[in-house]
Amino acid sequence: MFGYVLPPLGGLPQEERTRFQTAYCGLCHTLGRRYGFAARLILNYDFTFLAILLSEGTPSVCARACCPASPLKKRCFAEETPALELAAAESVILAYWQLRDGVEDHTFSRGLKYRALSRALRPAYRKAAADCGAFDAAAREQLQKLRELERAGDAPMDAAADIFARLLAAAADAAADGTQRRILRQLLYHLGRWIYLIDAADDLKRDRESGNYNPVAVRYGLDGGVFDELSRSEFSKTLDHSLHMAATAFELWDFGCWTEILRSTIYEGLFQVGRAVLDGTFHPGPFGKKKEKIVEETI
Amino acid sequence: MNDPYQVLGVPETASDAEVKKAYLDLARKYHPDNYHDNPLADLAEEKMKAINAAYEQITKSRSSSGSSGGYGYGYGGGGTARQAGQSSSGSSVLQQVRIAINSGDLSRAEAMLAAFQDHNAEWNFLRGAVCYRRGWMDEAKRYYTTACQMDPGSAEYRQALNYMENGAAGAYRPGGGVFSTEECGGENNMCSKICCAYLLCNGCGYWGFCR
Repeated sequence: MFGYVLPPLGGLPQEERTRFQTAYCGLCHTLGRRYGFAARLILNYDFTFLAILLSEGTPSVCARACCPASPLKKRCFAEETPALELAAAESVILAYWQLRDGVEDHTFSRGLKYRALSRALRPAYRKAAADCGAFDAAAREQLQKLRELERAGDAPMDAAADIFARLLAAAADAAADGTQRRILRQLLYHLGRWIYLIDAADDLKRDRESGNYNPVAVRYGLDGGVFDELSRSEFSKTLDHSLHMAATAFELWDFGCWTEILRSTIYEGLFQVGRAVLDGTFHPGPFGKKKEKIVEETI
Repeated sequence: MNDPYQVLGVPETASDAEVKKAYLDLARKYHPDNYHDNPLADLAEEKMKAINAAYEQITKSRSSSGSSGGYGYGYGGGGTARQAGQSSSGSSVLQQVRIAINSGDLSRAEAMLAAFQDHNAEWNFLRGAVCYRRGWMDEAKRYYTTACQMDPGSAEYRQALNYMENGAAGAYRPGGGVFSTEECGGENNMCSKICCAYLLCNGCGYWGFCR
C-alpha cells in the first residue's frame, strides 16, 4: 500500500532536497533508537511525508552521524521531536499491519516473506502499539473491516477506499491543535483514498491473475486487468477530486519550512505517480527498495 | 492585527503590481469556488477575509485618495453557487436535509435521507451532496447522475454532475496549471503550456465566479 507518495525531488532546489533528506534520516534514526534496527528497514518516503505533515514548521535541529546507509560520511539528520516520535510509532504500526495483511493475502509459501518480515518487526510493533495505543486500535479495527469487505468481494470502490482513508486520517488524531487536527484529518483522508485507489489500479493485472478482489476492477468491470479509455478517464477524475480535497486542506495550515516540499508533492509528485500507474510505467520495488536508491542518487 | 504584507506574502517594497498579483493568486486559492461543498470551507472563508482586509489596507495606505482597488472576492453573496440550501425543496424533510448538510452535520442528513421513502431526483441529489462531502467521490457522481436522469431540467443537478464529470480541472494549482492527473502527470510536462490556454477560457473557474 505504500511507496506512492513521492516528492518530485529532481525538480526541487538543493536546499529543499537537503531538508527532505534531513527529515528522512531523522525518521530513520528515530525508528532505530526507539524501535531497534528492524524498524529502520520500514523507512520510506510515505512515512517521511507523514512525519513532515505532523512536524512543527520550524527548521529541524540537526545532528550528524554515520549510519548503515552512509557508513563513512557523516550525515545530517533531524533530531528527535515529538512529531518524529509520533510518526515513527505510527509508521511501525502501519508497516506491521501491512505485513500481516500480506500474510493473510497469500498462500503459505508465497506468504513466507511477509511472515518472516512481520516476525522481525514484531518487537518493534509491540513497543509502538504501547506508545500509540489509540492509533493501533484504529489500525486494527479498520484493517479488520477492510479484510471482511475484501473477502465479500463486491463492495463499492468508495467504501473500500474509505476504510484505508479513515485509517490514515486517524494518524492526525494526536495533533494538539483542534484546527490542525481537522485540516490534517481531511488531508490524510483524501491522501489515503488516493493511495488505496492508486494501489488497486497498480494491482489490476496481479489481482486478475490471482483472482483477488480489486475494487477498481469491480467498479469499472475490467475483466482484462487493464483500463479502457472511458474507465481510465473516469478513474483519473475521481483521483483528481481527492487530490483537490487534499490540496485545499493543505492550503489552510501553515507548514512553515516544509511548505515547498509538501506543495510540490501534492501538486506535482502525486500527479506524476498517478499518471505513471495509469500508463503502466510505475514499478516500485518491494518495500520501496528502488526508492531508497532514488534517495541515494538525488540527495 | 497582522502585518498586511505578511498576509499577502510580499515585502513592503513590493510594487503595486506585485501586491495585486500576490493578492489575486491568494484570492484564487481561497476563493469559495475552490472550496465549494468543502468541509473546510469555513477555514478558507477566514483566510479570504484576512486577505481581502490586508489588500484593502495596503491599497488604502498607498493611494492618496484613500479608495481601495475595488476588489474583494468573498464568501456568501452568490459565490457558492452550489450550496445545497439555495434551491427550494418540494419537501420539508429534504429542506431539513439541506440545512443539515450546509451546517456540516452529515450524520443527521444521512439519517434523514435513509428514513425518507421517496427516492426522487432531489433525494438522489442530496445523497450525492452528502457523499461528496464525505469524500465518496465516485458515489457522489452516481447519485448526481441519477438525479439528472430523473429531472433533466434542473440546473442545480446538472451543475453538480458537470463538476464531477470535469474532474477538478478548474481547481487552483500554483502557477496556474490544470489540476489533472492526465494533463499534468506526463514525463514531458505539457501542463504549463496547456494551462495558459486553459486559463484564458477558464480563468474564472468552473462556476463562473468572475465579478
